[in-house]
Amino acid sequence: MPLLGLAVGIVLADSSVVTIALPEILGQYDVEIETLAWALTSFNLALALAAVPAAFAARRRPVGVFAVGGGVFAIASLVCAFAPSFGVLIAARTVQGVAGAAVACAALALLAEVTGADARAARIWAVAGILGAACGPAAGGILTQLLGWESIFVVQAPAILVTLAAVVGLRVAPTAQPRERPHLGANAALMLVSGALVAALFLLVILLINGWRLEPLAAGLAVTVMPIAAILAARFAGAVTPLWSRAAAGVILISGGLAALGWLPEAGVAWTIPPQLAIGAGLGLALSALTERALAGRSAQAVHGGWTLAARHAGVVLGLLLLTPIFTADLEQKADEALAAGTAHVLDSEIPPLQKFGVARDILVAVDEAEAEARVPDVGEVVEARSDEPAYAALAESLQDQLDRAATNAFSNSFLAAALLGLAALVPILVDRRGVSI
Amino acid sequence: MRAIALAVVASAALVGTYLALGGASYAPAKVADPCAARDWRDPGGFQEVVEQIVLSSLDGAACELGVSREEVVLAFESRRTRERFAREHGIDDSELERLVRAGLVRAVDDAEQADALNGTTADLLRGVVSRIPVEDLLNLPGVLPGLGNLFPS
Repeated sequence: MPLLGLAVGIVLADSSVVTIALPEILGQYDVEIETLAWALTSFNLALALAAVPAAFAARRRPVGVFAVGGGVFAIASLVCAFAPSFGVLIAARTVQGVAGAAVACAALALLAEVTGADARAARIWAVAGILGAACGPAAGGILTQLLGWESIFVVQAPAILVTLAAVVGLRVAPTAQPRERPHLGANAALMLVSGALVAALFLLVILLINGWRLEPLAAGLAVTVMPIAAILAARFAGAVTPLWSRAAAGVILISGGLAALGWLPEAGVAWTIPPQLAIGAGLGLALSALTERALAGRSAQAVHGGWTLAARHAGVVLGLLLLTPIFTADLEQKADEALAAGTAHVLDSEIPPLQKFGVARDILVAVDEAEAEARVPDVGEVVEARSDEPAYAALAESLQDQLDRAATNAFSNSFLAAALLGLAALVPILVDRRGVSI
Repeated sequence: MRAIALAVVASAALVGTYLALGGASYAPAKVADPCAARDWRDPGGFQEVVEQIVLSSLDGAACELGVSREEVVLAFESRRTRERFAREHGIDDSELERLVRAGLVRAVDDAEQADALNGTTADLLRGVVSRIPVEDLLNLPGVLPGLGNLFPS
């Protein structure tokens, strides 16, 4: 049973695990930043599209689907690690998504068989998925810093193969054709919440690394707050009844946390901790409640599990499609504002007039270089390299402050839009609560 | 329902605290209006006076173009950025150059009237401003180091 849970966790961690590695991947392959997003989108889109067909296949032969899915996932992971081009990486990520769908859906059918109780199987499956998704960025950051981004995929291959031991000698009879339609209310809410969580699991990591210049390891450790909060919340989630109330409370916490990230009073990891706690707790409550609601009383667990997977990953794709344009447009605008504010600081600074235009030119060169590498320039270093006089240190500090403000502010609208997307999930939850059949 | 009430209270407290601490206004500083008067800082030497003249002229050109002083400075980063700036604001490169030169001459006049420059230095500066290459217009303090001894101490 733990191995089946581990398999689900590994597969669903893959949704967000490469976020921290994106700058490293950008450095290796000569692609545009917009194209780079396909490293995330391809996996989630493939998983969303393959989940339901994979679930129908898993209903008939769960052991076979789990074994084949796990084997293909391992091979695709190794191809990702050693991909000679970005195109091959995207193709392998797509195969990972399809194989991952097979593993996750078959694991649900197998958990139902092993535990002998559908409700318990659904709970274990949901919690494993939540932990996987929440731990993805942290695991990716630690591996990227210590061993390089390729290690994320190298580690996955043996890890998923180990979980295949769970089905050795296991015989499972095919389950019946599902009689019920998928639970639209719970699945719609899952899609919206997952779309909102894109901001927490993807954009927050980008803010930490590309905006605030944290090392991947430090960023990975910083975002471990979310999975810890999710684990604690999921542990006590069973005590919060009814399910709709738990789901609504979770959604409100997620949206509150995202809104707080949109209104950070200052740049700094410490300011992200309270919002992360809210989002992590909300994630643990909402996803478990909605998944259990979607599977409750359903005869074919694997099939309805497939629908929840499809809903969640369609939500991730929706979130990426909605939030990326907002974020990129704001980033461009805030970069211009920061440049103007920085220029004003240089012109009005106390450094000698003869030095000002030289300093300004050095900064513009640093800005151009950083722009080409899709990172925030270290202008403080440029200014301080010219002199160790206090006027230069003061200028470096004020320029750094403007950059921090711009980087932080560039993410605000995206976090706030994600908060609204999360709140929209309350609609299907409340409609479902009123007994309206959807 | 208690779980929902707790979630609402926790979220509202978190968001309220962040807003109260200035979360809605944590953004890059707005640049000053170039049409508004700026304080004339007490210059400590020739370079500082020339710097004040350049900044004042930038404000004048920016005000006339309806942009910020900083945008004009950034436009002078290179020939390419200057041409792009001129194109974006519906003027040609020579018009931008004319505006900055005219602003510099005006600022020298103002400095002379304020007794920050003597007549000889002001005449010299006006001559330099009308002749130096456009790339050096904003770096006037840098191209005039030899004139420091003309500044009245």
